[in-house]
Amino acid sequence: MATVFMKWLETSPTAYDRGIQLLTLGRIQRIKERIANAYVHAGMRVLEIGCGTGTLTAMMAARGAEVTGIDASPSMLAEAERKVAQEGLEDHVTLKYMDAVLIGERFPPASFDLIVSTLVFSELSPYEQRYILEACKTLLAPNGRLLIADEVIPTGALRRLFYYVVRLPLALLTWLLTRTSATALRDFESLLEQTGFQARAVASHLGGSLVLYDILPAEIARAEANLPPTVIGRLQHRVTFRTLLLDLWLLFFRIIPPYPKVRTGLYMIGNPTPESPVLVTGNFDLTVRRVVKAIDGKVNVWLLVADSAGINVWCAAGGGYFSAEKVIAAVKSSRLEEVVRHHALILPQLCANGVDGWRIRKEIHWGVHWGPAKARDIPAYLDANRKKTDAMRWVRFPLKDRLEMVTVTLGFYGLLILLPVFIFWRPMFWPITFSIVGLSYFYAIVHPWLPGRDGLYKSIPLSLIALAGLLVYTTVWNPLPAVDLFHWMVILTGLSVFTGAELQGMSPLMRGEQANWGWEAVIGLALVALYWLVPLALGWR
Amino acid sequence: MSMQPTLLSSLKEHLTLAKELRHLEIHFYPEKCKGVWQCYEVCPVGCWTPNYEARVAIFHDPEKCIACGACVLQCPQDAIELK
Ligand code: SF4
Ligand code: SF4
Repeated sequence: MATVFMKWLETSPTAYDRGIQLLTLGRIQRIKERIANAYVHAGMRVLEIGCGTGTLTAMMAARGAEVTGIDASPSMLAEAERKVAQEGLEDHVTLKYMDAVLIGERFPPASFDLIVSTLVFSELSPYEQRYILEACKTLLAPNGRLLIADEVIPTGALRRLFYYVVRLPLALLTWLLTRTSATALRDFESLLEQTGFQARAVASHLGGSLVLYDILPAEIARAEANLPPTVIGRLQHRVTFRTLLLDLWLLFFRIIPPYPKVRTGLYMIGNPTPESPVLVTGNFDLTVRRVVKAIDGKVNVWLLVADSAGINVWCAAGGGYFSAEKVIAAVKSSRLEEVVRHHALILPQLCANGVDGWRIRKEIHWGVHWGPAKARDIPAYLDANRKKTDAMRWVRFPLKDRLEMVTVTLGFYGLLILLPVFIFWRPMFWPITFSIVGLSYFYAIVHPWLPGRDGLYKSIPLSLIALAGLLVYTTVWNPLPAVDLFHWMVILTGLSVFTGAELQGMSPLMRGEQANWGWEAVIGLALVALYWLVPLALGWR
Repeated sequence: MSMQPTLLSSLKEHLTLAKELRHLEIHFYPEKCKGVWQCYEVCPVGCWTPNYEARVAIFHDPEKCIACGACVLQCPQDAIELK
């Protein structure tokens, strides 16, 4: 159930299109038309960085250009492919799954006359932006140009105020309708200047917050060769009001996006030297803080935070959000080879289901070592010279984790079950709340001792226990009329099945919750039918 | 507005996923195995053990496998399949 809800929360490509339209009040479409009409000619070789659902890609190809579109989202690319095919432009369009950071490695120099990018740079860290801009310079043919349209935070106090007043409600509305969110660029013009480009804003919409830049390589390339080291800063384990609030939110609503993210890039923990090990992790805030907590003050390391869409590495790797591409992009954009003297990455073992270690080894010639499954074992693993014991390798699901995961799932029940109950079935609100909370924590505690390895099987003994409890209650304390007794039996069985199956998705030790999805739905429907039909058939009430 | 198509399509996707996931099983071809122990390195539930003398991995406890696919992806010899 939760995964279906999550799926809905995830932006679908079409919803994304609508979201961006709404967020920019339709202005992005005008910018795209302008790009296609004013800058694109037949035969031109165009690279579109972040082609998304392919709107602009198709427009440019329709003008006769040879367009290469890259994107790091397979679902967006699939939609783009559909769009391009629909307009019969396949011969003029090449679509590729690629992280924007890697364009410099994947295309030969001077292979494009025009590079365009809309609403991509604002999603990237300044180091990634800089790295891509550098690459664009070598990819552009003589007289080539770069067009970047993006959200920027306007200059000037009044404009800025106006921007926040208009943008915040609009952003909220957009997220609610389409689960699309976007960020804005800061100081982009000075970055362009630093990387040796000359930029001119040729279109400005929405009070200067949506800008199209026409960018040409500057005559004199500035000191781009000796860029400063790309270390973002030092991470320390700290408990602040912000982290407490964030932890509280994450305890209940971890599954609801937008997820709190850490800026991708290279960080220090302690005082690492060029010989110190490099750990890689995803950019989910909680993951990074847990890693830092586990090693701060114990060992000195470099921490390379790669983009996992703000999701924990296990789920992100399983869902295709965290891949070799993302790790390579992080290694490249942080210029790691200039910072450390070795060529070895330590990846979290739990991303091995999605990050192809051999691709990293072959493509950029960095060694890949699979670190321990849990962050807290990292110091011991490093002390033992990267030797893993079986205990570090195997994932367990101890009581503390079970309680945490049950709480995370309960955050969902609040939305999925209790909210409708509260609205439509008020008298049952408290009884059902108590049953859910009681059942969930009870299940979390007895989980290892219930027979069966599958959440659905485990829910059978769970519901039997719940029914036994109900029987004791009605005989000892409060004899219930037959109808109520029957209804409670059905409700408790349903809640048990739901609890058992839901926690399965949260446990790293069982097959994904989806495995039970069909059965969960069938049992649920059967129970609802029983709930209504049996009393009717027996003529109760 | 945007809810219906997304919810429906995700429902369908999950039903198919559910069907596949339940029946996935590890198929191991020991004759291809060169004993680099990547499977042992990455399996989170301990399905694999190295047999150092024979330089071949041993797949045991198939019922423990959660079909995460890590060993399949990391095996350089394509000695493991999940189907
Ligand atoms: S699929 Fe995952 S759980 Fe199963 S054997 Fe491979 S690594 Fe282990
Ligand atoms: S990863 Fe593949 S080749 Fe290496 S030990 Fe395992 S099965 Fe054998």
